Amino acid sequence: MATEVILPRVDMDMETGKFANWLVKEGETVKKGQPLFEIETDKAAMEVDAPAAGVLKGICAAPGDILPVGATVAWIAATDEAIPSVAPKGAVAAGTPSAATKKVPGAHVPAQTQEESLNSRNEHGDDSVRATPLARRLAREAGVDLAGVSGSGPAGRIQARDFASTTLTLASPGSGKLHCEWLVRGEATPIVLVHGFGADSGGWRPLVMRLGTNRPILALDLPGHGQSELAGAATFDDLVDAVERCVEAEGVRRGHWVAHSLGGAIAARLAGRRPASVASLTLLAPAGLGPEINWTFVQGFLRARSEASLGPIMRMLVEDEAALGNALVKTTLRQRQERALEASQAAIADVVFPDGVQAIDTRSALSAYSGPTKLIAGRLDRIISPNYARNVAGSVGVHLLAGVGHMPQLEARDLVARLTLDNIAAGDRAAP
Amino acid sequence: MNAAVRELSYAQAIQEAMSIAMDEDSRVFLMGEDIGVYGGAFGVTGDLIHRYGADRVMDTPISELGGAGVAVGAALTGSRPIFEFQFSDFSGLAMEQIVNQAAKLRYMLGGSVSVPVVFRLPTGSGTGAAAQHSQSLEAWFAHVPGLKVVEPTTPHDAKGLLLAALDDPDPVLIFEHKLLYKVKGPVPAGRYTVPLDKAEVRRNGKDLTIVASGIMASKALDAAKRLAEENIDAEVIDPRSLRPLDMATISQSVRKTHRLLCVYEGVKTLGIGAEISAAIAESETFAFLDAPIIRLGGSESPIPYSPILEKAAVPQVDDIVARARELAQGRI
Repeated sequence: MATEVILPRVDMDMETGKFANWLVKEGETVKKGQPLFEIETDKAAMEVDAPAAGVLKGICAAPGDILPVGATVAWIAATDEAIPSVAPKGAVAAGTPSAATKKVPGAHVPAQTQEESLNSRNEHGDDSVRATPLARRLAREAGVDLAGVSGSGPAGRIQARDFASTTLTLASPGSGKLHCEWLVRGEATPIVLVHGFGADSGGWRPLVMRLGTNRPILALDLPGHGQSELAGAATFDDLVDAVERCVEAEGVRRGHWVAHSLGGAIAARLAGRRPASVASLTLLAPAGLGPEINWTFVQGFLRARSEASLGPIMRMLVEDEAALGNALVKTTLRQRQERALEASQAAIADVVFPDGVQAIDTRSALSAYSGPTKLIAGRLDRIISPNYARNVAGSVGVHLLAGVGHMPQLEARDLVARLTLDNIAAGDRAAP
Repeated sequence: MNAAVRELSYAQAIQEAMSIAMDEDSRVFLMGEDIGVYGGAFGVTGDLIHRYGADRVMDTPISELGGAGVAVGAALTGSRPIFEFQFSDFSGLAMEQIVNQAAKLRYMLGGSVSVPVVFRLPTGSGTGAAAQHSQSLEAWFAHVPGLKVVEPTTPHDAKGLLLAALDDPDPVLIFEHKLLYKVKGPVPAGRYTVPLDKAEVRRNGKDLTIVASGIMASKALDAAKRLAEENIDAEVIDPRSLRPLDMATISQSVRKTHRLLCVYEGVKTLGIGAEISAAIAESETFAFLDAPIIRLGGSESPIPYSPILEKAAVPQVDDIVARARELAQGRI
């Protein structure tokens, strides 16, 4: 078995050491106890002996490197023996503070090298996600892909606390019951509102005020959003199924669907699946019509932990930044912290926007639906560029709004309300 | 009956158990080196020779193999001997009788016999008695099917486990930590037993589980008090019996706390904590772990004579606090 050569603790107070130089070259044979390299501490320079006999391989420390005690500097192995992959020098570069300040507990405990662990996560993708058994079980039960969760444990290991709470009971994919609310009650064919990724039903209020009160309005929260149960989604159809079940449970057999962004893709898929249940379809800046999406936004949104980071990210949603107040940023942040929505939302992002590409395509669903359809998007949308509008069928009414970003319902609420009501009226006229 | 609960030392509690057993059952007698007039290497048998006579409190020659052999033979033929080693370290001399005879005869003779012998073994370091008188060898014996191995922590358990051991039809080894002999605690008067297969939850907690028996259980409790000041809530489980091990109680705790620290004085490698770690790792409880299982055991060396090195060679309260803290804070 290959023997790890580490930077030893040669002094009680020593936490880091400066690597001075190798006394043996890569590939040379060494005897156990033979001087192998020199280090400099605060007090002295000293030679370190080879811990085993064999061939020196995988040298990953260079003169001048400041290394934490216990860091791997090379391996001693048999001539034809493979060695574990070791960290590139960059990870242990001189003066790396995070690596240098961490204390290695217990003198006789073999030091786990941090750079090895840090790198294995980044370089090998999903298989090498470090997670505790408990975190894996919670993720499995929730359908959450751990690759989307950032770990707080040693070397980035994901622990249960990274799901925000160990008492969290994560529902299985698609089984989560969705929260929904009748904003207006009544007898006519209702309006069904489906929000976008990272938002919730509360975001519809400015538009709802302009839609009148003469027809019922139902707003729902997507899985892992708002007040809905935390749940990942194994597939895009899990999201569509959850929405369909929720609306059915509310007794809605036919509705005017008004949906934004990711919600737009869901509504379009539903319209293609069950055209009779959709009286009209109004899509605001919908996803699902082209491959592009602003990955910086999605990742930044999921990663943001403070107002300072979430604010600028959320303001990418709108063209006129004044349209998106700090209150919404605060509310979004608080809700995510209180309910630990990130894990669920990250899982959903992994399914619908893997690697920064929209993996959902609702163009065929949209062409299968022949009811009144409007597509309303901002010309200055920075999240999903409205280029996709040219791909939709000629029967779809396309409204590209000048000076508007990804949130037409917020940025041009009067116009969007009028266009939506026009479409709803068309749907009522076309009713069977 | 609170009136009947006295404060007794661990040694007094053991002596009381032996006295009760001898009063109740004429088959019970004691054997060992210097347990008679001298009162035992650690004074546990005390004046029992004056109360029960040299026929029932028998000094044996300086031959552990011979003495243990007589005890096993006596047990095999209907007596209830209690054999005291001066130091558990000397049990090596009697290995043949304990491991090859006492442990196996029930199996080899198709269940037609049993060997109800009790061995008492003063164990552990901390007395400055150096390498040949300070070991913690309980894992050696816990490895052997046919033996039961217990390690009492409190005077209460020392008495109850000894009486339970005498009731048991098979050989039982009781490892008594030398530093516990003078520790006092509440002990009910009269006969009672403590089951040979049940762990005790010494302290309830939610942040991590510390499994420790014997003197390590009391050190773990001291550590838990200090951890509580840092808002770390440790659960302390005292297995009491190392064979059989009450894994159900340990598992239940780990499922609650998601973290396990095994503390034992014996050498870390292949010790009791190693067995507990492995049993958890291969069980369904694995999926409840939110951190690696940590063993805190004795050093990989003979116990040194120097008091400072002797202390450093086995887990101390500070060590337990430090490891538990790291574990609870997700830093391991």
